[in-house]
Amino acid sequence: MSMLHVEKMTKQFGGLRAIDALDLTIDKGQILGLIGPNGAGKSTAFNCIAGSFAPTSGQITFEGKRINGYKPWNLCKMGLARTFQIVKPFASKNVLYNVTVASFVTTGSRKIAEDKALAVLESLNFADKKDILAGNLTIADRKRLEIAKALATEPKLLLLDEVMAGLRPNEVDEMVEIFKALRDRGITIFVIEHIMRAIMALSDRVVVIQFGKKIAEGTPQEIANNEAVIKAYLGEDYVAAGN
Amino acid sequence: MKHQHINKIMLAGLLVIAFALPLVIRSATYLHILVLLFFYAYLTTSWNIVGGFAGVLPLGHAAFVGIGAYTSTILSLQYGVSPWLGMLVGGVLATIVGVIISLPTLKMRGAYFALATIAFAEGIRVMVENIDYIGPLKLNGPRGLQIPPLETGLASFMFASKEPYYYIILIMLLAVMLLTYLISRAKLGYYLMAGGEEPEAAMALGINVARAKLIAMAISSFLTALAGTFYAQFSLYIHPKSIISLDMSFEIAFIALIGGRGSIVGPLLGALLLRPVGDFCRIYFGDTLPGLHLVIFGLVLIFVMLYQPRGIQEPISRAYQALLNRLIPQPSLGR
Amino acid sequence: MLYVIEDMINGILMGSIYGLTAMGLTIIFGVLKVINFAHGSLLMVGMYAAYWAITLTGVHPYLALAIVIPVMFAFGYALQNIVIKPIFIAEKNVREPITVIIVTTGIWYILDNLTLLVFGPQYRSLTANPLQGQMFELGSMFVSAPKFYGFIIALVTAAAIHLFMQKTIMGRAIRATSMDREAASLMGINQYRIYNVAFGIGAATTGIAAVALIPFNNVFPTVGVLFDIKGFIIVVLGGLGSISGALLGGIIVGLIESVGPQFMTATWTEAIVYGLFLIVLFVKPSGLFGQKHDW
Repeated sequence: MSMLHVEKMTKQFGGLRAIDALDLTIDKGQILGLIGPNGAGKSTAFNCIAGSFAPTSGQITFEGKRINGYKPWNLCKMGLARTFQIVKPFASKNVLYNVTVASFVTTGSRKIAEDKALAVLESLNFADKKDILAGNLTIADRKRLEIAKALATEPKLLLLDEVMAGLRPNEVDEMVEIFKALRDRGITIFVIEHIMRAIMALSDRVVVIQFGKKIAEGTPQEIANNEAVIKAYLGEDYVAAGN
Repeated sequence: MKHQHINKIMLAGLLVIAFALPLVIRSATYLHILVLLFFYAYLTTSWNIVGGFAGVLPLGHAAFVGIGAYTSTILSLQYGVSPWLGMLVGGVLATIVGVIISLPTLKMRGAYFALATIAFAEGIRVMVENIDYIGPLKLNGPRGLQIPPLETGLASFMFASKEPYYYIILIMLLAVMLLTYLISRAKLGYYLMAGGEEPEAAMALGINVARAKLIAMAISSFLTALAGTFYAQFSLYIHPKSIISLDMSFEIAFIALIGGRGSIVGPLLGALLLRPVGDFCRIYFGDTLPGLHLVIFGLVLIFVMLYQPRGIQEPISRAYQALLNRLIPQPSLGR
Repeated sequence: MLYVIEDMINGILMGSIYGLTAMGLTIIFGVLKVINFAHGSLLMVGMYAAYWAITLTGVHPYLALAIVIPVMFAFGYALQNIVIKPIFIAEKNVREPITVIIVTTGIWYILDNLTLLVFGPQYRSLTANPLQGQMFELGSMFVSAPKFYGFIIALVTAAAIHLFMQKTIMGRAIRATSMDREAASLMGINQYRIYNVAFGIGAATTGIAAVALIPFNNVFPTVGVLFDIKGFIIVVLGGLGSISGALLGGIIVGLIESVGPQFMTATWTEAIVYGLFLIVLFVKPSGLFGQKHDW
């Protein structure tokens, strides 16, 4: 069964059609990559799926249930978690507090919530920083905190919005391993990423959009060799970086 | 000795001092000042649940004080209902009003919410000033209500001396401080903080921010109204300008902001700083330099916002911690 | 019937002066995105400035504009530059500058009570006032002359602000900042200097309102509080940031206050105004007319 199914999703802002009849499907346990040039509508697609705003038209189904217009907090409780491209830590609180906020979604007990938060931090090799104020973290650690918060809500589907931007190459590699481990634990992942090396290593399938429309879909190999994609988007950058 | 233990001893010591104070201070004037200090600390602590934890800026809390004071007083004057019971009725009524007013307003952005709460409180004051009767209930318009002396005692919530009032408001204050402490460590406290600081992120983490704020507002308006009954029984005279005044709403917010928004002890520290300054100025310069204390409040407020935006609780607790570390060094935790 | 018409005329005249008092508030909000809680105090300062300028020099009340406008501009500029700017700089990343609201509230308390300390609580009115009690007669109706002049001043001020914002380089820089402060600063506009100037213009506009009021309104330390809350209501009714909205919002409030007492106890009109305000806040927070950038 598909975890997430999006059919003819369109989002109109005034005269601008940010998403245009987008179709996509993620199967359970899959990692789907979403790429496209800046302003292609990737984050808008995430925002529609995660309930930040309702799509203008189309269908979004999560585990067979239509979720158009559902509020973000309800989607989160149903098992759909997301990170933000612009990280949003609770800056005045420490890392453990930040993650505990998230793990409260399944419990009313602070003890249980904190234990769960600690376990998530351990799994991300992040527990040693639990007492640091979120506002004082490095960019890489803020991204990691963003992932920790999303994971602490115990998601079935995780939407990751450019969590690797600004990371050093070795940190990117570490992230890729972390996501693979998450996938092996049964979490389905939908990822927006600009770092091609990461998305190619990570994704089972890749969807490419431009001007809100899907221009290609396939395995990383197929995408890398797709003429339209290379022309529209990857261009020399990928050729240079990838080889 | 561990710092935790010292903190507990210090807390116990402060409590003993607070309870023993009336044995030392025999002057009715000073006790009166202390009662009002705790009254404001109580109001501010209640305000803090929504104004501090939830990160919004309500500027109309005097309306809830008024609802509490008028409810228990009318019930007691006209129907002989015990003020203690009236206190609860007032609290419930204020909760209902607080929820009704918050449903549309809490969605507003910061400045609009502040304005809406001002207009709400001023609207309530104007209405009370213009209404002599609601059906059989006598509000007596701008003249207010006088509570005639009854048999004194705990049952009638009326006492000949200041001491009982002192103990009642002290216990109320301690209770509400304990409550805010518990809230800050509970799911609700985490949710309020998250929703106040980063609403979008909070929503994505499963938090219905509007509902958390609404709960905070309900608790806050309930607690605030209780103090209204206390004030009515303490002063035995209430009228719209004294009890639903914009000045009171603003003073509550000022004390919280100066003491430290969102901290447990901030409101008490703010009241400990501002109330004595205000009383001192009123007593000694009230005739020659009217309004001096408000100039000082304004200056302190601006100074604190510029240099200590998290209130005076921060440098105070830092200094206390530094003192502890110096007097009793603790084994390093390896941080 | 004639009474109602007379009341309506007076309501419109007084309302446009209310609108004039709120214009500075709306300009400052439009640019800084902050509600200046010290706005009433600025009006009070302007009224004292006008009062003393007229009393000490003996000029015609409206000539006080020559002194009040520059004084208030400098006062507003300095206030923003010294007290409010540091907050903006410290809270660069905060979306809603609530701290600024708090600081302006502090300014309100300081200004009102300093005035009380210096000038005392007494009500003052112009002693040699050529406009005192002057009326225009329209058939059997009477219209207050200083209020009529105030109405004219309000219209001229609104037009002048509009022209300034459209035609001058500084006006365009202010408009650019109010629309998108980041983009404007990328274009080389110094955001904080624009804030200073906008605050100065807001204060100067409030000074004009003070001069319009002085021939028929007493001066006392808390005179601003009356106009403060009324100003908030007016700008929200008319749409925060809109100048014509401020005028229209002012006229609505003026009409309620002048015509209302025909139908109810005068004090109830205040409750109606608060009620209308809350309803607009709930239903259409962008204001009755919803125009945001009309300057």
